[in-house]
Amino acid sequence: MNFKKYLKDKSYAFIILIISYFIILLMLFAFEIRVELIISITIIFLVSSILILTISYLRKKNFYNNLFFGIKNLDESYLVVETLSKPEFYEGKLLMNALYDINKSMIENVNNQKTLLRDFKNYIEMWIHEVKIPLATLNLTLTNKKGLNTKVKTQLKRVEDCVDQVLFYVRSENAEKDYLIKETNLKEIIKNVGLKNIDDLRENKIDFITENIDYKVLTDSKWLEFILRQIINNSIKYKRNIKNSYIKIKAFKDFDTLVLMIEDNGIGILKQDINQVFDKTFTGSNGREYNSSTGMGLFIAKNLCNKLGHKIKIESIKDKYTRVYITFGSNNYYDVLK
Amino acid sequence: MHDIILTMESGEIMDRIMIIEDDKIICEELKKLLVSNGYEVFIVKDFNNSLNEILTISPNLILLDINIPYINGELLLKKLRKESNIPVIMVTSKISETDEALSISYGADDYITKPYNPNILLLRIGAVLKRTNEKLDDIYYRDLKIDVGKGTIKNDKKEIILTKNEMIIFNYLLKHKNKIVTRDELMTDLWNNSEFINDNALTVNISRLRTKLKSIGYENVIDTRKGIGYILL
Repeated sequence: MNFKKYLKDKSYAFIILIISYFIILLMLFAFEIRVELIISITIIFLVSSILILTISYLRKKNFYNNLFFGIKNLDESYLVVETLSKPEFYEGKLLMNALYDINKSMIENVNNQKTLLRDFKNYIEMWIHEVKIPLATLNLTLTNKKGLNTKVKTQLKRVEDCVDQVLFYVRSENAEKDYLIKETNLKEIIKNVGLKNIDDLRENKIDFITENIDYKVLTDSKWLEFILRQIINNSIKYKRNIKNSYIKIKAFKDFDTLVLMIEDNGIGILKQDINQVFDKTFTGSNGREYNSSTGMGLFIAKNLCNKLGHKIKIESIKDKYTRVYITFGSNNYYDVLK
Repeated sequence: MHDIILTMESGEIMDRIMIIEDDKIICEELKKLLVSNGYEVFIVKDFNNSLNEILTISPNLILLDINIPYINGELLLKKLRKESNIPVIMVTSKISETDEALSISYGADDYITKPYNPNILLLRIGAVLKRTNEKLDDIYYRDLKIDVGKGTIKNDKKEIILTKNEMIIFNYLLKHKNKIVTRDELMTDLWNNSEFINDNALTVNISRLRTKLKSIGYENVIDTRKGIGYILL
C-alpha cells in the first residue's frame, strides 16, 4: 500500500478539513479571540487531522500488504484468503467476507465442472468399450469369411486406431493416475506393435526391422505400445514411394539412460515444422498434403511420455529420414543380456 | 452328455474350449473360428449358473469376458480358481495395465483385449493349451522326428538343420497338417515369434524348406494352393 496514493485518495477529506478550518478561523477572528488561542486550536486541529489519517492508513496497510504479497507469491493465489488474519477495520471485514463468498462460489463452480468432466470421461471410456464389441465382431466375421477384401480390414483397423486415440487422449488429459508402471521387456511391446500393424506394413511393403531390443524398462506397457503405434502409423502414412521402405527400431545405451530409436526412410519433416510436431492439432505441410491428419497422435504420445517420465524427441531430414527417440531414465532399465 | 469327439484323420483328441461372453454375435463368430481350427466349442448360456456349467463340462480352456451379466468375470475367475485349475484367457475391451495385472493375480493364464486379431487369438489359445498340456511326446512327420528346440529334422539315415524361420513355418504347417494354411497365418506366427520378415522372405523360406525336405526324400509335400496358401500333405 502506497502512502502517497492513499493520501491522494483521501483528498476529499483534506478539502473538507481545510474549508472547515478556514470557516473556524473566520469565526474566531469575528469574535476577536486571542491569537494564542487561535494558534492552539490550529495546532490541535492539525495534529488530530494527521493522526486520524495516519492511524487509519496503518490499520489498512498490514491487511492489504499481506493480501497482495499472498496473491503474488502463492502458487495458487486463490488460496490467499485462507492465509489472512481477520482485519480490525470494518471495510476489511466486509472485503474478507466478500472474498470468502466469491471463493466459495468459484470452488463450487469448479467442482461442478470437474464432475461434469469426470462424467464425460467415464462416458467416453464406456462408449469406447461399447464400440469395441462390434469392431471385434466385424474382425471375427471378416476372418471367418476367408479371402475377403483386405481393404475392408485396413479400414477397420483405421477405425480401431481412431477409437484408441480418443481413449488415450482422455487418459492423457486427465489428472487421475490410471497407469501402472511395471518392468516390461521392450521386445514384447515391440512384438505387439508389429503384430498390430502387420497388415498395414505388408500392404505398404514396408520392412519392419528390429535391432538389439532385448532390454527391460519400467513403463506402462499399454501406454508405451500406444505411443509406438502413433509413431509407426505416421511412418506408414508418410512413406516415400521408393522400393526399400523400412521402419527400423533399435535400442542403445547413452550414458546411464536407455534410448529407443524408431527410424523410417519416409518423406521426413520440413525444418520449419519440426519444432511443432508435438503441438496439439499441428498438422504441418505433410498433414496438409496428405489430407488425413488430426495432428493429435504425437501430441498425445508426448503427453503420455511426460506422465511416464520418458523423454521423446524427433529429428528429420526432408526426403531422407525421420527418427524418433524415446529415452528411459537411468534406473528404468536392466540389461537382460548382462 | 458331451462325449469326447475324435477327429477323423488324426485320431487326436480335440481340445474343448468354453466361451463365456454375453454378446451373441461374437459368440457365434468365435465359435465358427474355433471350430474351423479344430476345437470343440461350448457356449455358456445361463450366466447365473456358469460355475456349475464349467465344472460339469470341464473344458480344456475358457475364454472369459470380464463384462458378463449377473457375475463379473473377475469374480467368476476367483470362484473358479478355488475349485479348478482350468486355463482361462480373459477377454476384455478395456486396455489397462491395472486390469491386466489384476486378472493375472486372480489366476488368469492370459489377457487379450478386444478387438483382437483372430489369428493372434488362435496363437495365444494354442500357447496356453501347449503350456498346460505339456505333451512331452516327440513330434513326428511320417518317419521324420522333429526337434523344434535344436531345429533339426531327422530319420534313421539323414538329418537336416532348419533355420529358426523355417522351423516356425514347418511347425505351423505340421500343426495344421492336411489343412490349408494362409500366408497371413504364417506371417502372423512368424511375427509373433519376433521374426519380422517380409512377404518375399516368406516365399524364399518356403522354397528353401521345400528344397531341404526334398533332400531328405520328401518332394512336393508342401503344396501351394494359389491365392489361398499352403498345405502340408
